[in-house]
Amino acid sequence: MSYPGIDKYSYLNSPLHSFDPRAKVVTFTALIFSFAFIPELIIAIFAVLFSIVMIFISRIPPVFVFRYLRFPALFIFTIIVVMAFTVEGRPLLDLHYISITQEGIDIGSLIFFRAIAALILAFLMLATSRFDEIIKAMYMLKVPGVMVQIITFSYRYIFVILDELHTLKRSMYARGFQLKLNMYSLSVLGNMVGMLLIKSYERGERVYRSMIARGYTGNPRLFTSFNMITKDYILSAVMLTTAVSVQLIPLLT
Amino acid sequence: MHISDGVLSAPVIAAGWAITIIFLLVTFRLKMKESDMVEEIPKFSVMTAAFFVASLIHLPMGPTSVHPMLNGLVGIVLGPMAYIAMFVGLILQAFLFQHGGITTIGINAALVGIPAIIAFYLFKSGYDRGISEKLLGLLCGGLAIGLSALLLVIVLISTGQEFLGLAQVAAVAHLPLILIEGILTGTIVAYIAKVKPELLPVQMKK
Repeated sequence: MSYPGIDKYSYLNSPLHSFDPRAKVVTFTALIFSFAFIPELIIAIFAVLFSIVMIFISRIPPVFVFRYLRFPALFIFTIIVVMAFTVEGRPLLDLHYISITQEGIDIGSLIFFRAIAALILAFLMLATSRFDEIIKAMYMLKVPGVMVQIITFSYRYIFVILDELHTLKRSMYARGFQLKLNMYSLSVLGNMVGMLLIKSYERGERVYRSMIARGYTGNPRLFTSFNMITKDYILSAVMLTTAVSVQLIPLLT
Repeated sequence: MHISDGVLSAPVIAAGWAITIIFLLVTFRLKMKESDMVEEIPKFSVMTAAFFVASLIHLPMGPTSVHPMLNGLVGIVLGPMAYIAMFVGLILQAFLFQHGGITTIGINAALVGIPAIIAFYLFKSGYDRGISEKLLGLLCGGLAIGLSALLLVIVLISTGQEFLGLAQVAAVAHLPLILIEGILTGTIVAYIAKVKPELLPVQMKK
């Protein structure tokens, strides 16, 4: 079973890795929201270049980034294809029933570059930090505690339940099951998912009791604290300036 | 069912976040009234993780594969709390697998969460009328996906006329999923009803 391994390179040492987690969450979120609404194609391409430069600053192997992002990127690319065929406008290529239009490609590629820039940044935010650092940063940024705890525990139990699913699957395949798209396969699969949910429900009871036994009160306890130093302020300033200027420049020109 | 970053206009994104924040606050408030949050957090999180893992199962379909969303099932099992589960699932999905977008978490949660809650109330009232769990599961599972697809079309068109074509393609792509999810949800619900009925929002008969 493959686990989501986004934090595989979180141990590296780079300006982005040592960036204060609180500042990282705030500035990356601001950048993502800003990049997602860039109005002009040329600025969207700049945003993608900016994100690629960030990959190199983070020292994460580009091969790893590529392997991680190729399928999401492919998914977004289909939007260009669909838009090219469906948006009405000046035809570039006429194929009798359908045609590729200039307007379609323009809108499609604008969306594509905006999405890719945001995608790389969201990836980098998680890839350059340990998950627990992000969680601590969220507590310190006053995100409601209940929400942060649900996210933390869900994240943790995804790995446990993936193992559980693997066990169930292995025993099914050992008995000769083959996954095809027919009624029989779907109903066997349905039974398996039902079992997975029941096992998880029972596990939830056990988890709750063991947490109570260890003194869980519903309130998080933080043992570490973060310190903002000059370097963090400079990096934050650079990122926030970028976020604001990609929105301001098209307004001014 | 993941709208990526960069597709929708700012007002649509803002509306999505507003709807989601209201739903989160209301469902939390409702749950707090009837039970203890300290007890709910661990149990609810494990179930959220389970649904997340279940949605990772890929079904072969022609040259590609699809993964079920199961939002109808999440609704039936978790009730109104399903909205929170879908919200958390989308956050993890966006950050861990880079599927869907960050800015669109709000609107995506509304697209899958609202049909989930509708499926819950439909299941409950159908069960009280004596309809079998399997048939109800089938209907609710299919309906939840259908409603999500419908909401997706509405959201895309309200962003701009140029998205009409994309909306049509997305709607057609969801048609086979309605059938698959319906059958899958039907069998899962029938299985749970046999093995552990307290997971479903039903009173034991007799």
